[in-house]
Amino acid sequence: MAPLLQVERSTKRFGGLIANRDVSLAIEPGEIVGLIGPNGAGKTTLFNCISGALHPDEGRIVLDGADITHARPERVCRLGIARTWQVVRSFGRMTVLENVICGAFRRTSRVAAARARALELLAFTGLAGKEHVVAAALTLADKKRLEITRALATSPRLLLLDEAMSGLTPFETTAAVELVRRIHGELRLAICVVEHVMEVVMPLSHRVVVLDHGEKLTEGPPAEVARDERVITAYLGDRYRGRA
Amino acid sequence: MTLFLQAVADGLQMGLLYALVAVGLAIIWGLMEMINFAHGEFMMLGMFGAWGLSAWLGWDPLITMVPLAVVMYGAGVLVYRVLMQKVQRGEMFTQIFATVGLFFFIQNGVVALFTSDYRFINASLLTRLSGANLTVGGVRIGVPLLVGGLIALALFLILYLLIDRTDFGLALQATAEDRDAAMLVGIRPQRMYAVAWGLGTALVAIAGVILANFFSVYPQAGLSFTVLAYAIVALGGFGSILGTLMAALLVGVVQSVTAAYLPPAFKDAFVFASYILIGLFRPQGLFGRF
Amino acid sequence: MLGALVALLYPIPFERSGQIYYETVGFLVLLNAMLGIGWNIIGGWAGQFDFGPSIFFAIGAYTAALLTINLGWNAWLALLGAMVVSAAICAAVTYPVTKLRGHYFAIATVAMWMIAQPIGATWPLINGSQGLFIPVATGGGFVHGVLTMEFPGRGKGLGFYYLSLALFTITLLAARAIERSKWGFYFRAVRDDQDGAEAIGIDSRLYKVIARCLMAVVFAAGGTLYGFWALAVFPDQVLEVNWNILPMMAAVVGGLGRLWGPVLGAVVLIPISQLMATTLGTGPLAGRGIDLIIYGAIIMVIAGWRPNGLLSLPWSEWAARLRGHASASGKA
Repeated sequence: MAPLLQVERSTKRFGGLIANRDVSLAIEPGEIVGLIGPNGAGKTTLFNCISGALHPDEGRIVLDGADITHARPERVCRLGIARTWQVVRSFGRMTVLENVICGAFRRTSRVAAARARALELLAFTGLAGKEHVVAAALTLADKKRLEITRALATSPRLLLLDEAMSGLTPFETTAAVELVRRIHGELRLAICVVEHVMEVVMPLSHRVVVLDHGEKLTEGPPAEVARDERVITAYLGDRYRGRA
Repeated sequence: MTLFLQAVADGLQMGLLYALVAVGLAIIWGLMEMINFAHGEFMMLGMFGAWGLSAWLGWDPLITMVPLAVVMYGAGVLVYRVLMQKVQRGEMFTQIFATVGLFFFIQNGVVALFTSDYRFINASLLTRLSGANLTVGGVRIGVPLLVGGLIALALFLILYLLIDRTDFGLALQATAEDRDAAMLVGIRPQRMYAVAWGLGTALVAIAGVILANFFSVYPQAGLSFTVLAYAIVALGGFGSILGTLMAALLVGVVQSVTAAYLPPAFKDAFVFASYILIGLFRPQGLFGRF
Repeated sequence: MLGALVALLYPIPFERSGQIYYETVGFLVLLNAMLGIGWNIIGGWAGQFDFGPSIFFAIGAYTAALLTINLGWNAWLALLGAMVVSAAICAAVTYPVTKLRGHYFAIATVAMWMIAQPIGATWPLINGSQGLFIPVATGGGFVHGVLTMEFPGRGKGLGFYYLSLALFTITLLAARAIERSKWGFYFRAVRDDQDGAEAIGIDSRLYKVIARCLMAVVFAAGGTLYGFWALAVFPDQVLEVNWNILPMMAAVVGGLGRLWGPVLGAVVLIPISQLMATTLGTGPLAGRGIDLIIYGAIIMVIAGWRPNGLLSLPWSEWAARLRGHASASGKA
């Protein structure tokens, strides 16, 4: 089965800093891939390149046969990739419902249809009852939920979650993980999760990719990656090598 | 060819004055990303101040620079503390809009007091030098404008040293880079902003005083300078003081050359068109750091 | 509903007493309210601050004038023509500029306006600063007047009042429809978070252009109406800074982004300027821009203390308190 998303040797520089160097990765339809690595490894840069917010200096990014290396974000979304952001974003002055309706317009132009779909999704992600709250007034956990709902409204085939669990209490985190599971189970999307919280990403992912200093260190099933010495060194430094 | 060189020379001289007009804006913008539609109005106030003091007290405009600079510094600080401080927290549009209100208020306040008639300064040191020319390689350089330009340049350099070499300037730069971090090291951002407004206003008013020696003084003189100043700051790369100087000289030359070959009404059009082009193709400006 | 009735019947008492002047004030209020609604689309909904919209006012006025004078078109066809031309030019000049954000976009719109001024003053096609004159129809009753947008003689105030009311109503209804449509949502999304909007598939550049073109169309219609009212189009009249500022002020003072904001703003602001004109008459302070000083002060006050406009004042609270007082004193 051909991969849904293929990143081929993507390189991105910011002046003298090489944020991504020669990074290749593939995501199969319907799988959950965890993207981990210490701070500054280049994970968000990679996401930005995939979603079109940035463009790689070298390399190619292909989504289901379509070359999206230099595509603008709206085209990338139209082709089926949706994302959330490290610092949560919402249309602050619009209500929760209006936010999701904006996403739903990706698949229909009629307000009534968009509204119906939005309401459905809000019920699915657990925000029912808060439709008319102004987005800026939500709690952080609810804002993240809203962001995910809005992304789902665009009917993506691949959902990129950038540190969706950061800043959440343990209780909220459990609820968020359950939501991701439900999304994967019922909507059958591919999901790529950038995460620092190991207890979250390891059990959730089918496969894990590790970045360090802009390069791909290794990839594989979570259990293997967790035991990999290079990964431990990357996170914890030389002193912990060999203590795995 | 001589026409062209003449235009370039004239343009460079005007460019020096434009640099002084624009640098205040560069500071305010670089520090707090505020747009000030009324920037040119403060320049106009400087012009009227010079004219007024010259007409009623017989002071030479060059002397008026000092008291006017002080007064306008105070005015700038006042405007910041009363109005801009309030809108700084709000939306960007409100900030811009507030300065639009200031623009109308100041310009028409002057119209109400003095009417829209054009006024001139008669006997000033610089105009008395008029007629004295330097001729370099077939190009005539009027001494008055040259002196005015040199004064502007001197002030510009003093400012550059202030920003770049003193502790105070360092504090200003620090606040521009990261307001919160600046607070952590004991710098009070509000004070920096107030000073920036004061400085910016004073500088542009001084520019007005110099310009009043050569140009007619009237209430509507400000707006085109405001837009010109923005074009210059954008071209020079927002936040770069030397960049502002380079850009100002460039703008002066472009304007002058345009005026030499096209009807005078169009002299600014090229500059504004360049602003738009730069914004599209090189948003960090010609010399910007970003 | 009450408002609609008032608006419809407004000119009648003045017609009877022969005070045409107030009908003209009404005309100006409606014209500016309409322009304000148009500006609200780009400024309030899409959040892109356009400080030079009068170029489209001018384009509308000139296009309509040229079509009427040179090609003999009927006034309403000329109106449509003006709207189309304005939209086309807007799309062409705006698309490149949509890359700019916030302040840079605002200054670019001012720069465009300043470029337009020398063009307007020197372009032979539109007779430069000597302006264009629209031929006056002679005779003809009210209906004829509506068809040609010309009301020679006494009927002028009344005629233009109702014309502007009609155009205003159409604009208001259209704006309401747009507000509730996909476009309305998309505009506000671009305003609130342009990057986030792009990530959910909104082509921000396209929608900025659409929003500005909608404004251009409204301004063109306004310019056409104004041209026929003034029976002449001069560059410094139609490119005047007032047509830039008043609609925007009306929108902001009333309530930026709210449908009725510009209407409230226009109703409050225009009479001030007219009041100034009449009270100062030909005295020493006349024509000295006192009204603009007041406008400037109002702008600063609103920006500093009530940036969300008059509509954001707690009207319902005040009404409740008044009712509270009334019932309290009723009981006493």
